[in-house]
Amino acid sequence: MLDLDDELMQRYQKGDEGAFTLLVRRHQQPLINFIARFINDRDNAEDLAQETFIRMFKAAHRYEPGRAHFKTWMYHIAKNLCKNEIRNRERRDKYRVDNVVNSGSDNNGDTEEIDLIANAPANPTFQPEVELERKELRNAIQKAIAELPEQYRLPLVLRDLQGLSYDEISEVLELRSGTTKSRINRARLMLKDKLKPFI
Amino acid sequence: MNCLQAEEHFSAHFEDTLDYQTLHGFEVHLAACEACQQEYAKFQESVKVVQQLPQIEPSPYFMPTLLQRIAEEQREIGGVKGIATAGWQRLLDVFRRPVWAFSGVLALILAVTGTYLYQDGFLFDRDTGSAAITSESQEVRVVAPPVRARRVLGNNGQRLPDGGTSTPVQPMQQHYVLKQVSYTNASTRGGL
Repeated sequence: MLDLDDELMQRYQKGDEGAFTLLVRRHQQPLINFIARFINDRDNAEDLAQETFIRMFKAAHRYEPGRAHFKTWMYHIAKNLCKNEIRNRERRDKYRVDNVVNSGSDNNGDTEEIDLIANAPANPTFQPEVELERKELRNAIQKAIAELPEQYRLPLVLRDLQGLSYDEISEVLELRSGTTKSRINRARLMLKDKLKPFI
Repeated sequence: MNCLQAEEHFSAHFEDTLDYQTLHGFEVHLAACEACQQEYAKFQESVKVVQQLPQIEPSPYFMPTLLQRIAEEQREIGGVKGIATAGWQRLLDVFRRPVWAFSGVLALILAVTGTYLYQDGFLFDRDTGSAAITSESQEVRVVAPPVRARRVLGNNGQRLPDGGTSTPVQPMQQHYVLKQVSYTNASTRGGL
C-alpha cells in the first residue's frame, strides 16, 4: 500500500504537475527546519531546501514508489547538500554571520513579542520576563545543538525536531539501527549537560 | 546495573522501548541511585524542551521562487528533449526511405502471393464461395475416386451408356472432377 507521498509521486510521474507542487507544500516546512537546525543558518536553509526540491524534481522520473520512502529520500539529499555547504564554508574559512536559526526564531520571537507588547494592556497574563526566559532558552538550545558534533547533531535533529522513526533515520544516514539509537542517546546526554544551567 | 549502564538506557526508557529484564534492572538502579535520578530528570527535561522548539515558518517568497525555478528547469528539460527529438528525427530520416521501399516490396510480394493462392483455390474456394480448407474438401482431395467411378465417368463427368472403360483421366481432369463432387455435396447440404 502506497502512502500519500508515493501516490503523489506516481501521479506526478504520470504527468500531473500539480502533484509535485503538493509534495513541496507538504514538506517545505519540515525540510527548512531540518536544514536550518543542522547548518544553523536560516537564510541558507531556504536556498538549500529549494536546491533539494529541484534535485528531487530532476530525479523524479527515477523514483520508484514503494521501494524507497519519499521522506527519507528528501532528507538524504538535504543531508548531503548540508554537508557540502558546511565543508565549503569551512574551506573558504568564511566568517559565519550569526544569522543563525535563532535569528529566524528571533524574528518570529520578536514579532511575537511586539504583538504581545502591543496587546499588553488587553492581555493581563502577559509577563515580559517569562517571554525573555523562553527566548533565552531557545537560543541556548539552538546553540547547544549547533555545538554538537555532526555525527550526533544529525540524528538528534531528525529524531527530536523532525520526528522521524529510528528506522527512517537509519535509512537517511545509512547507519545500523543500533548505531542510530546509540548516537541519539549520546547526543541527548551531551545536550543535557550543555543545558544544565537553563533547566 | 551501574550508573554508566543506566545512562545508556535513558533514551530507551524515555521512549518506553526497554525489554522487561532491562527495564527491571534500570528501575532497580534508579530507585537506589540518587545521582542517576537527578540526571535522568534533567535528561527528560532537556529532551522535552528540544522537542518543543518552535517550527520555523518558510518565508512568503519560498514557494513562488521555487515554483519559478521548477518552471525554468522544466523549460530546460523540454529544450534538451526537443533537441534530442530533433536529432532522432534527423536520424530517422536517413532510414525513412529504405523503410518505405522495403514496405512497398513486402506489400507487393504479399499481393502476388495472395493472388496466386486465390487463383489456385488454396485459400478461397471460388465455386462455393467459402474457405477452401475444410475437412470435407480436404478429404475429397486426398482420397482417390473409386475404381468404379473412374471407369464410368468420362472427361466431362458424364456416365457412358455402355458402362465400358473410358479414356484414362488426366491429373488436371481428375482434379476438376473431384471439385465437381465437392460442389455437388455442398449444394446438397445447402438444401437442394
